[in-house]
Amino acid sequence: MANGRSKRKGRKGIREGTQRIPLCVLCEYLCVPLHLKLFIKSPIMFVLIFIVAIGAVAQTRQRKPTTQQAPKGSAAKYSAFQHSSDKHKSLTCDACHKVPTAWTAKRAFPDVADFPNHDACVRCHRQQFFTRQSFAGGGPVICTVCHVRAAPREDGRFVFGNPNGAGQPTKPRDERQFTIEFPHDKHQNVIAWTLPRRSSMVAFIRASFSNEQTDDQKNPAYNNCSICHQRDDNLVIAPLSTQPDAATQSNKFFKTMPHAHDSCFNCHWRNQKPTGDDCGGCHKPSSTFTAVTAPKRISAMFSHEGGKGEHMNECTTCHINITRASTLRGLTPDVPIAACITCHKDNKKTTYPKLTTIEEEFEQFKKTSNCTYCHTADVGKKKPPASHEAAAQ
Amino acid sequence: MKTKRSRSASISSQQRPARNAAARAVIVSFFLLFPFYFFLDAVNSQTPPATRGVIRLKVKFKSGDVTKELPRKRFFLIKGTLDDNRALIAKLKQTDSVSRECYYRTKGASEALIKWLVDNDCDSIYCREIEEKYLSGSDAVPEFQAAYNQGLREFKTPGLARRWLTVNLPSDIRDGFYKQKQEVIEALVKQSEDATKTKVMSVMTDRKGTAYLTDIEPGTYTISNLVGSETGKTSILWACEKEVKAVDLAIAMRRPFTLSNEKDPKVKCEFVERPLPVCKQTVK
Repeated sequence: MANGRSKRKGRKGIREGTQRIPLCVLCEYLCVPLHLKLFIKSPIMFVLIFIVAIGAVAQTRQRKPTTQQAPKGSAAKYSAFQHSSDKHKSLTCDACHKVPTAWTAKRAFPDVADFPNHDACVRCHRQQFFTRQSFAGGGPVICTVCHVRAAPREDGRFVFGNPNGAGQPTKPRDERQFTIEFPHDKHQNVIAWTLPRRSSMVAFIRASFSNEQTDDQKNPAYNNCSICHQRDDNLVIAPLSTQPDAATQSNKFFKTMPHAHDSCFNCHWRNQKPTGDDCGGCHKPSSTFTAVTAPKRISAMFSHEGGKGEHMNECTTCHINITRASTLRGLTPDVPIAACITCHKDNKKTTYPKLTTIEEEFEQFKKTSNCTYCHTADVGKKKPPASHEAAAQ
Repeated sequence: MKTKRSRSASISSQQRPARNAAARAVIVSFFLLFPFYFFLDAVNSQTPPATRGVIRLKVKFKSGDVTKELPRKRFFLIKGTLDDNRALIAKLKQTDSVSRECYYRTKGASEALIKWLVDNDCDSIYCREIEEKYLSGSDAVPEFQAAYNQGLREFKTPGLARRWLTVNLPSDIRDGFYKQKQEVIEALVKQSEDATKTKVMSVMTDRKGTAYLTDIEPGTYTISNLVGSETGKTSILWACEKEVKAVDLAIAMRRPFTLSNEKDPKVKCEFVERPLPVCKQTVK
């Protein structure tokens, strides 16, 4: 009864204009010419309109707030080092960085292994280091760009390569201020690598450059991606938890990426451009970002180690677009379903008798509305895309 | 009774417009919403037609009685038919690129280095990391030994000196042949891009001679390796015409476009196969 009364009261209120809210008025004016007055006035429609309005407001509020910068001249401003500041941008890299630094203690190869000397900072920031004002409180805050504490006897420094970025007082995150340029296509032109014997999985895991030849042919074969991308035993990624056999799923879905200059300097140290002292040859300034070191595994149940060794083809056999990629930007894994069908199709069963095929996966979808052999449940329940249907034909 | 009846009649007559309006609203919503749901369902269930084309490229060559796949060679996709690109093809045929062996012999490379390049099918020293057996013993390559010794003085550790060996190699020995070939290719790519006003795409064949050219605008294209690919005893240059239709990759997979050094009436292809020249050693 109470509900009915309130509904009636509500309707009356709107009709008479006594309790109107602007949205209702707008709707009423818009809809009257269309004879939809009552349709709009129904409580369900009100709820819907309200939800849409709330959603719109929420969306506008979700927009990223602009990074708040410390006011010019304040101490906080100098606690955060930004390569992108106008002054820093106007300098060449070797104006501050020495290439190589004294590397033997920190690296196994010549490298820029340490922060620039004090001189690199002091020559412009004398005021931030030596004025009485700078010593107020905990000491010159500019010291905390490299040093853990701004104290004369405190020698602890942050790990080089992670300068203290804005809003990062204790540097808990791996924030970066440069992107990397790497033309895959050029490198694939020049680099080759013999593919280890098919029968030896250990040889692949512990791959080293060698001239081993495949069993089926005496000519050298190639797998040049493995020079930089190998199985990552250290990467911990969340299992595809929706699956019942989550614990048994391979955690080695993603490969390693080069993260040290060693991978580049072995060819580009000198003579081969961009050389080791030409930082800008590979690194382009960018607004501060946190690198994704543990990518999220989303849909595919695929394992590189699976397929009884058959998945260890040459990488570009499945990642079909890598050899044309001239940059890292916009690069996607690029494994089309067509690459899987090479083996996972019914007419291939004579070669691989115990293989689950795309036809079987479709059959399963008809029965259970889920493709769970290749996909996680949340992706597998979606309607197979056209490419999959074309592949199965 | 009469009053009651007339009152109820008057109430129902008051409610009637509201009921009619409600009914109208239901009907209107039915007509408005159901086509929308059907539209959504249709959008979800219909397979969107492919708008871009794909070529599955397969490159083979016959050497003696054996047919082999051509691994790790770059092929370029140039807009237009063979006739459209006639000037470019004429230039390709005229371009007499130096063979790998001749180049290195001209530069005074040792026999051991030339053997290493041939055995590993490499155009440059970057091709593979140098194994220890090439630094000493019967397989030793003098150029590698010299660079290694220099690296040992500079980098202190044998491992680093070996891994960074190319740093201390002279540039013409290191990658001079590759760079020379790239210069020719870049000039030809620029010429074709200027002529066709379209960016030239390229892919590299895998070890089974397969490569995929994806996301292509439908039309007719010329596929070429631009400079002859060395295949052991000969060098083969291809320029083939392919009409690309909008098709799904899965369908393209079933019908590879095969380039071969054998005549195929189904494929509109021009190829030039030249025997690799015998090169004379030039002492530095």
